[in-house]
Amino acid sequence: MSDASAPQRSTGGALLAAPAFAILAVLFIVPMILLFVVSFWRVRNFALTPDMSLDAYTRVFVTYGDVLVSTMANGSVTALICVGLGFLFAYAARFRAGRWGDALILVAIITLFGGYLVKIYAWKAILSTDGFLNAILVATGVSAEPLDTLLYNRGAVIVALVHFLLPFAILPIYGQLRSVNDIQIEAAHDLGASGRQTLIRVIIPQCRIGLFAAFAISFLYAAGDYITPRFLGGGSGTMIGQFIAQEFSTRFNWPAGAAMSFVLMAASLLVLGLVGILFVRRKPS
Amino acid sequence: MRQFRALLWFAVIAMLVLFMLGPLAIVVVFSFNSGALVSLPLTGFSLDWYRELFSSDEFWAAFRNSLAVAVPTALLATVTGTMTALALTRKSASASVPLLTALSVPIMIPPLVVAIGLVVLYVRWLSIPLGIGAVIGGHLLLTQPLVALVVSARMASFDRVALEAARDLGATPWQAFRYVTLPQIRAALVGAALLAFAISLDEFIITIFTIGSGNTLSTFVWGKMRTSLDPSINAIATLLLVVTIGSTAIALRMTRYRG
Repeated sequence: MSDASAPQRSTGGALLAAPAFAILAVLFIVPMILLFVVSFWRVRNFALTPDMSLDAYTRVFVTYGDVLVSTMANGSVTALICVGLGFLFAYAARFRAGRWGDALILVAIITLFGGYLVKIYAWKAILSTDGFLNAILVATGVSAEPLDTLLYNRGAVIVALVHFLLPFAILPIYGQLRSVNDIQIEAAHDLGASGRQTLIRVIIPQCRIGLFAAFAISFLYAAGDYITPRFLGGGSGTMIGQFIAQEFSTRFNWPAGAAMSFVLMAASLLVLGLVGILFVRRKPS
Repeated sequence: MRQFRALLWFAVIAMLVLFMLGPLAIVVVFSFNSGALVSLPLTGFSLDWYRELFSSDEFWAAFRNSLAVAVPTALLATVTGTMTALALTRKSASASVPLLTALSVPIMIPPLVVAIGLVVLYVRWLSIPLGIGAVIGGHLLLTQPLVALVVSARMASFDRVALEAARDLGATPWQAFRYVTLPQIRAALVGAALLAFAISLDEFIITIFTIGSGNTLSTFVWGKMRTSLDPSINAIATLLLVVTIGSTAIALRMTRYRG
């Protein structure tokens, strides 16, 4: 290889990444900056007016403070359930299912690509008063009358979100469990560790990153979703995303929508940061 | 005791599989059921919902729009994502990981926020009309990082010696790519493109904010979901399931098991 061509090749290499990053810059970074700028503007006489006002942010905390808190709570509960069930499922696929392990992962992948709206619609059909679950409950005699309390509440939103996000939790955890060394587990057994001790002291410490990734993905998505609560949430299941969409597109209050978006992202990062710190601190040395 | 444990595991896994696949299975089964209600008992086999769907002009318009979005998205994302992956293989991990992460930020933040950012850009600053082109832009943000990740993973086990040899023997960079790199990564490229296609086809939130008027399949489904429990949704949902799961299944086969 000649010396002259080496630097030329590396600049050529960097240029290859240019289109993707140009798209990122123009369609993502610039819009985020614009959105941030707009969050300090005001709406006067139905027209956006440039300003340096904190009105939109005050409005977020005064009007939507409660919703923000319950959104973070719903997101955390959803993410915790996803991590718990996801670990159970991934653990079974890796250690308990034998040759069926791959089939279980295929189930997770099918669910992953099962369609976002389709899943929400399916849960409405399952949980509604004249729906699938009520038909089973009545037919088996568990309930004398169809229950009208299954749908339009926080529980319905969390169930549907867990269904949607569980595959996103399973896959990173499984990815890490796969690289856990069988020899270490056998060694732990041979040295007299119980199944529970092996789990806590050998297996879980090795998939810490996967568990945190599973929590982060589930939490971020659940906290930012607005279609699931809008369609299944009713009164008690409302979440901040619904109001962002409403302020932005129905009321044309762009500053409020923009400010709420940044508060949502900041609050989400804060929750993830706290969970991350707890996670790191509990690490046994 | 040991048998009891095995049984317990079996029960837990069966419940989880039922929880995951059950809702999808219900949609598929009821798309072939004659009754309008998604409830038991089943009323009999029927293809009426498919017939109703295929005779609807709105469905075909939405279908055409979905293809008009998903095909260009898949092709463009495959080009930009692959170029990025090729650029990054020449860099060390400490340089490439932050760049891949930066490219992936749009898939880590709420799609709602990406969507309203795009609307502010398109409508207020660029005065670009909303529509198919606007949707493709949004979908590129979501799909190009995934293509870059899939192709990078493939490049990690790439035979670089042949590439160096080709260059030393006087091949131009394009020739080296065309005759050495491409044949080795072709399966991964097809897989990545299908993945991008499936994601674009399913995407709803960015689509509904940026399409303006008209429908894609996902916004068409949304329109039906909001008005009533229209059983023809089961039929569209089943068709979409077949297409997205089919293309992802092929994608996974191509990226993992071949060459």
